[in-house]
Amino acid sequence: MEHSKQTQYSSNEKKDTGDGGSVLNGHFDGMVKRPAGGTARAAAAPQAPGAESGSHRAATSVMESWKEERTRSVEDNEMSLPSLAAAYTTILRGLGEDPQRQGLLKTPWRAATAMQFFTKGYQEKIIDVLNDAIFDEDHDEMVIVKDIDMFSMCEHHLVPIFGRVHIGYLPNKRVLGLSKLARIVEIYSRRLQVQERLTKQIAVAITEALQPTGVGVVIEATHMCMVMRGVQKMNSKTVTSTMLGVFREDPKTRDEFLTLIRS
Amino acid sequence: MEYHHTSEMNGVVADYFSMCNESERNGLCREEKHSEDAADSNNLCHIEKAYSTILSELGEDVAREGLLRTPLRAAKAMQFLTKGYKETTQDILNDAIFDENHEEMVIVKDIDLFSLCEHHLVPFYGKAHIAYLPNKKVVGLSKLARIVEIYSRRLQVQERLTKQIASAISEALEPAGVAVVIEAAHMCMVMRGVQKMNASTVTSVMLGRFHDDPEVRKEFLALTMKK
Repeated sequence: MEHSKQTQYSSNEKKDTGDGGSVLNGHFDGMVKRPAGGTARAAAAPQAPGAESGSHRAATSVMESWKEERTRSVEDNEMSLPSLAAAYTTILRGLGEDPQRQGLLKTPWRAATAMQFFTKGYQEKIIDVLNDAIFDEDHDEMVIVKDIDMFSMCEHHLVPIFGRVHIGYLPNKRVLGLSKLARIVEIYSRRLQVQERLTKQIAVAITEALQPTGVGVVIEATHMCMVMRGVQKMNSKTVTSTMLGVFREDPKTRDEFLTLIRS
Repeated sequence: MEYHHTSEMNGVVADYFSMCNESERNGLCREEKHSEDAADSNNLCHIEKAYSTILSELGEDVAREGLLRTPLRAAKAMQFLTKGYKETTQDILNDAIFDENHEEMVIVKDIDLFSLCEHHLVPFYGKAHIAYLPNKKVVGLSKLARIVEIYSRRLQVQERLTKQIASAISEALEPAGVAVVIEAAHMCMVMRGVQKMNASTVTSVMLGRFHDDPEVRKEFLALTMKK
C-alpha cells in the first residue's frame, strides 16, 4: 500500500506541472460553447499549488478550471435533445430491435434525457456551488466527509461507474460547508470520466477554493465496463487517491486520514 | 418451433433465425453467416456514428484523446450487452438434457445477472435464483445460467425477463414445476430520477407445482432467500 502511494505521488507531481488540460476533461482546449468573460475572474483567482512552474497557458487553465467550468446550458440541452433522440433511435435499430414496439416508443427521448442527466456536470460551475459557503473558522484539525455515493460514466465505453468518495482536508482558517464537498463530487462525477482524473479534479477544486493545509481524496468504485462486459470480474473494485499538501508530505496525517475513513 | 415465439424475441424480427434454422443445407447457412457478418459490421458502423453524434451533442470534445475511439468501443460494448438477441435456447440446450430418475427440487441460485433497461438504456444488475422439479429429465446446471444470459443480454423489463427464463425452461424440459426469482438494482432508479441507492426490485414467476402447491413454493423460498 505504501509502495503504490509513492508512485502515485510522483505521477501527481508530473501532472501538476504541465498538463493543465488533463484536469479539465479536455474542455479548456476543445469547447466552443464556453461563455465569454472568464478571463477577468481567472486573473483574480488564487494561484493553484504546483501550477506556477508550468507554462502560462497551463497555469491559467488550472486556475480557470474551478472558476469557469460550464460548457453547456439548459438551452443547449433542449436544442440537443432531438439529435440525441435520433442517434438513440439509430442505435436501437442497429442492435436489431424494433423502435416502434410499445416498450421502446419513447426510449430514445428517455435515454437522451438520462444521458444529459448523467453528464450534467458540464452545466455546472464550482463557483456557483461554493461561493457562499466558505466560512472563517479557527479550526485546524482534520475534517472528513466519507461514504459519499458517486455515479459517473466511463468515457471509454459510456457505461456507468459507481462507488464511494472519501474526502478529508486540514483547514487553514477557512472551512467549507460540508454538503459542498459532496456537491463538488457531483459536479465532477456527472461527466464522462476516468477515475484517476476525477479524483484529482475533486482534490484540486477543494485546494483552489479553500487553500487548506492539505487535502486527501480516496475513491473506491466499481466499473460496469469491467463487470458487465470485457473481462467480467464481478467483485473487482478500483481504488484511486490524491493527497495534496500535508497529506502528501506527512505520513502520520495520511495514516490518520486513511484509518478514519476505514472505520 | 417452440423456441421462436415472437413474444420471446422481444419483438426482434426473426428473419435471420428462421432462415438459418429452416434450411437444412450447410451451403445456405454459410452464405447466411457471411451476410450476417456484413450486416453486423454495417450495423456497428451506424451505431458508432450515432455515438459520435451523442458525444458532441452532450458538449464533449470528440477529438480529445480519451474520446477518440469511444464511439467504436461504446458501439461494441452495446452489441455485447445485447448479444442475447442472436442466441436461442435451442442452440445451448440441445445436448445437455439427460434422462435421470430424479424428482426432487433442483436449485441454482445467486446467478449474477446483467441487463439493460429498455426504457433508459441504463444497466440493471442483480441475481437470479432458478428452481425446477424434474420430470424424468434434468438439464446441465450451467445451462440454466446460460438461459439467464440469453434473455438478460437484451433490452429488457425485469418482469418480462423473469417470465422468459421460466417459459424457456418449461418448454425445454417439461418439468413438474419451475420457479424463477430475480432481485435486481436498477441504475435508472439509482443514478437518476428518484435516486434511491438501496432500492432493489424483486420479481418472480412460479409455474406448475410451484404455483399450485404452497409447500413446494415455501421450500424453494426458504432455500434461496436465506440471508
